[in-house]
Amino acid sequence: MTTSKSGIDMIVAYLLQKRPDLTTIDHDLDLIENRILDSLGFVNFLYVLEEQTGREIALEDVTPEDFRTVKSIKARFFDAATDEN
Amino acid sequence: MTATHVEASERLRQVLDRLVAMSEDDYYNPYQLFQWPDSLPQEQYWMSPELMSTHGVRAADELTEQQLWAISKWESVNFYSLNVHGIRELLTEVISRIYTKGFEDTSEYFHHIIGEENEHMWFFATFCLKYGGKIYPDKGMTLADGEEGDAANFLVFSRLLIFEEIVDFFNKRMGVDERLHPTIRQVNAIHHQDESRHIAFGRQIVALLHERLRDTSTAADLLRLEGYLKRYLRTSLDSLCNPAVYRDAGLPDPYAFRRAVLADPARVELESQILKRTVGFLVSKGIFTDESIPAS
Repeated sequence: MTTSKSGIDMIVAYLLQKRPDLTTIDHDLDLIENRILDSLGFVNFLYVLEEQTGREIALEDVTPEDFRTVKSIKARFFDAATDEN
Repeated sequence: MTATHVEASERLRQVLDRLVAMSEDDYYNPYQLFQWPDSLPQEQYWMSPELMSTHGVRAADELTEQQLWAISKWESVNFYSLNVHGIRELLTEVISRIYTKGFEDTSEYFHHIIGEENEHMWFFATFCLKYGGKIYPDKGMTLADGEEGDAANFLVFSRLLIFEEIVDFFNKRMGVDERLHPTIRQVNAIHHQDESRHIAFGRQIVALLHERLRDTSTAADLLRLEGYLKRYLRTSLDSLCNPAVYRDAGLPDPYAFRRAVLADPARVELESQILKRTVGFLVSKGIFTDESIPAS
């Protein structure tokens, strides 16, 4: 399993790859409002997130707010997992 | 309403009359029609091998036939699970429009679609639960980025048509594939029979809704809708490759395997076959300006 630090970096790299018009993504930037993450791109994004966190994500356990910013993704899927360990 | 719209509406009305009559004539009781054996043989293909995500891709070169049988089992459960979730969306959207403004002429046929789709959902879910022990969950999430009004209506029926046409590509072939178990053939053949009518309706209403949109939308609006639908096509194709399938089939790195499948030239070839009729229709109606589809 990838470490949390490189995991969130991989998530940002994936989002940048999908939005070549951007060079960086501020960790507080609203990903949904800025259409960096949208409904059609969500499933592939979720698979990247599952791969980087090393576990399946059930949609009944999450809300759109968990995906609002890089910071919220990190807190919900990486830091929380570290805390559990 | 322009002369073109009147003509298109009249054409739709004639198609609806024909489809309602066909639905009444072809009506069957799905709860009595199917033979559901207690189990299906594990050591054979549950999908036509040429239609599996692994067909011709380099990442699958080293897989044994036992592994391919396992993938075919779970990939078919994924395929029917996608049907269950797609039908849920279809039913939700059609029910929200029946007997509302703009859908007066189509409401009679909506009753048949709702009834038939409810039954399709039942036999797809039954297959998944009986032979796979589960329905793969829908991993989609709606983030607030939708259209409104006429554009939303157009996109809803376009999405439903695209979904039905992709599914039908598989149903049509697996319904007559003698290598598959009779129950698998029957599920696919029956669905293909009903979906032929739904697709005929879908094509009429999508063309009509787009004709109306052209009068009220800018070129930029229409291009945005085209871009959305092309991305929807891409998302739909990608959903046929589910990492949970590869995990359930025992592959050690399901996410890497999925990436390799989606990037393989053999996959591109299968996708172009799946989309040929749908994209051809959308281009012929001026809904798409070209045949290009974004990469995964």
